[in-house]
Amino acid sequence: MGADTDVLVVGAGAAGAAVSARLSESGVRVVCLEQGDWVLPKTIPSGSPDWEIRRQTTHHPNPNVRRLPADYPINDSAADLKPLLYNAVGGSTIHWGAHFPRLRPSDFRVRTLDGVADDWPLDYDELAPYYDRNDEQVGVSGVAGDPGNPPRSPRQMPPVPLGRGGELLAAAFDRLGWHWWPADVAINTRPYGDGRRACNNCGPCDLGCPRGARSSADLVYWPRALRQGAVLRTHARVCEVTVDSRGRATGVLYFDAKGNVRRQRANVVVLACNAIGTPRLLLASASKRFPEGLANSSGLVGKNLMLHPVAMVTGLFDEPIDGYKGPFVTSLVCQEFYETDRARSFVRGYQMQLCRSNGPLGTALGGPYLPRIDWGTDHHRMFLEQFGHGASLAVTAEDLPDEGNCVTLDPTLVDADGIPAPAVRYRVGENTFAIIEHGISRATEAFAEAGANRVVAPGLIDSAFHLLGTARLGSDPRRSVVDAFGRTHDVPNLFVADSSLFVTGGAVNPASTVQALALRTADHILQTRRTVDVPA
Amino acid sequence: MSRPRGNILGAVLDRLLLANGPLAGAGELGLGDQIEEAVQARPHVAALLDGLADCFVELPGEAQDGILRGLEQQAPVPFGELVELAYNAYYTDRRVLEHLERVTGYPARPPQPEGYELGAFDEAVLGTIRGSGPLFRTV
Repeated sequence: MGADTDVLVVGAGAAGAAVSARLSESGVRVVCLEQGDWVLPKTIPSGSPDWEIRRQTTHHPNPNVRRLPADYPINDSAADLKPLLYNAVGGSTIHWGAHFPRLRPSDFRVRTLDGVADDWPLDYDELAPYYDRNDEQVGVSGVAGDPGNPPRSPRQMPPVPLGRGGELLAAAFDRLGWHWWPADVAINTRPYGDGRRACNNCGPCDLGCPRGARSSADLVYWPRALRQGAVLRTHARVCEVTVDSRGRATGVLYFDAKGNVRRQRANVVVLACNAIGTPRLLLASASKRFPEGLANSSGLVGKNLMLHPVAMVTGLFDEPIDGYKGPFVTSLVCQEFYETDRARSFVRGYQMQLCRSNGPLGTALGGPYLPRIDWGTDHHRMFLEQFGHGASLAVTAEDLPDEGNCVTLDPTLVDADGIPAPAVRYRVGENTFAIIEHGISRATEAFAEAGANRVVAPGLIDSAFHLLGTARLGSDPRRSVVDAFGRTHDVPNLFVADSSLFVTGGAVNPASTVQALALRTADHILQTRRTVDVPA
Repeated sequence: MSRPRGNILGAVLDRLLLANGPLAGAGELGLGDQIEEAVQARPHVAALLDGLADCFVELPGEAQDGILRGLEQQAPVPFGELVELAYNAYYTDRRVLEHLERVTGYPARPPQPEGYELGAFDEAVLGTIRGSGPLFRTV
């Protein structure tokens, strides 16, 4: 091979880390370029007195609020939900809650079963071995035997504690005859992995975990990948995927930390920049040969953005339930209303995920869980009624693909290196609103059954936790951007390996599926690397 | 901070977050000094305070509340920012957190490094749901 490296991976998040580790394990020369940096444990603010202020500022999940040097701006003025993401080694797992469910078999066959959207070009059984392999690497706390999902291998660790709120809701679900199960969680309940300790139930997982108990990709995959010889270059912001005269990818151009443009050549290029960053880069790589953007003969690059709309329903109890203790968004899930039921006014469904509650400042300020507590004479009374007395159900709706929901290049907005910023257009669909309305009603019923004295449901929250679908898998090059293994239909040595691949979104957190798909793509690269058409 | 602005800000804070048992109100705790810089950096918030007459500090509490409710209606965004600044300062103040610990048991320290004790998961709670048949669609 004449290139500088065998495989170039763009993005060091959940998918890029998994691909890099899998390929380097087999002796493939891997270079990964990441625009952010390592997040050092000493910078994690959960041991700082101002941790709840840092949550609103330097550690805010919205890059437009956080505005760190590694972040790029996103024009979200036409988006009902504002995208959340993180740019660093580990990607958005840096601020994730580590909820780690799998898609269900029906999620891969939505067109066949329900007559909407499209089927995936693979099924659950094909992905199951990769889910298992990824679970082994990550370390999953949970318990096998969930009747709501196909049987799976024993979990690596016991579940995270339910806490009092979880116990109340679990008993309520039992009385209602509804499904519930302890969540699969990528958080250690025992020491597991490279020097990673057990969770001590501190609460704000989104700020990072100084104990290494939460399995972000920088802790799980990168140490191994680096030991195996992978090269990770931080502060490297890719601006273009380059191609030769035959339309094969030759590598990328990127800005280094000093703003100099560098070139990295490779035989194979893998994009793992998330469902906003990947279409942004493909569209920014337009050329005479690919005037509509790279790998975009279908016209679908950037389209079909799905965001998992969420409504938060909070129950307040007379008794203190110490909701500030324990991993903040993980304990149990209810998937009673996950599958399509023709008796309802919508197709597909939703998951209810039990979340714990805030610290003192978060309680007072409100936010997605509850409105801000009013100032004045009743403030202290209302504060004591809420603080430590609440639990919330996040109603996560399946979001059907819609070509009108999309990522494009903003005509004027640019990042610090002058690269066009992404513009996101996203409208919540009618089916989604119907799902959310049903979910709020059922969550309210569950809290009433659990004994809550008050239930508050502010409605749909305006943040988008999961970014999906903008370079989707498919067998038909007219209806998809990449094939069943993530190889772009148009450029034989260019792959996508991130949440852009999702054909449909399911109603569960996507990280375990993202990483399972990434491992599968890496295996495919290994199996076909001798025959792939690479640049001279 | 100029004294008139400082006095007014302190008086406003005392109405936003009143004295609570043995704990003084937010203004009397001196949190005005803490947020003054942030107020200055937000001209629309500073303008709210500048719009209050000096005699605001002399008014009875109920009258002050009435004026503040009026401001909140007229200018909800900057007023909301002022409330957020007040809450940020108040609920990260050691004296407030120590009071909260006495009242609720919530430890007056950051979550790390100690974390919190929680009982381990008990599989006995799965007794009912384990008896269910498969609840997912087969394909």
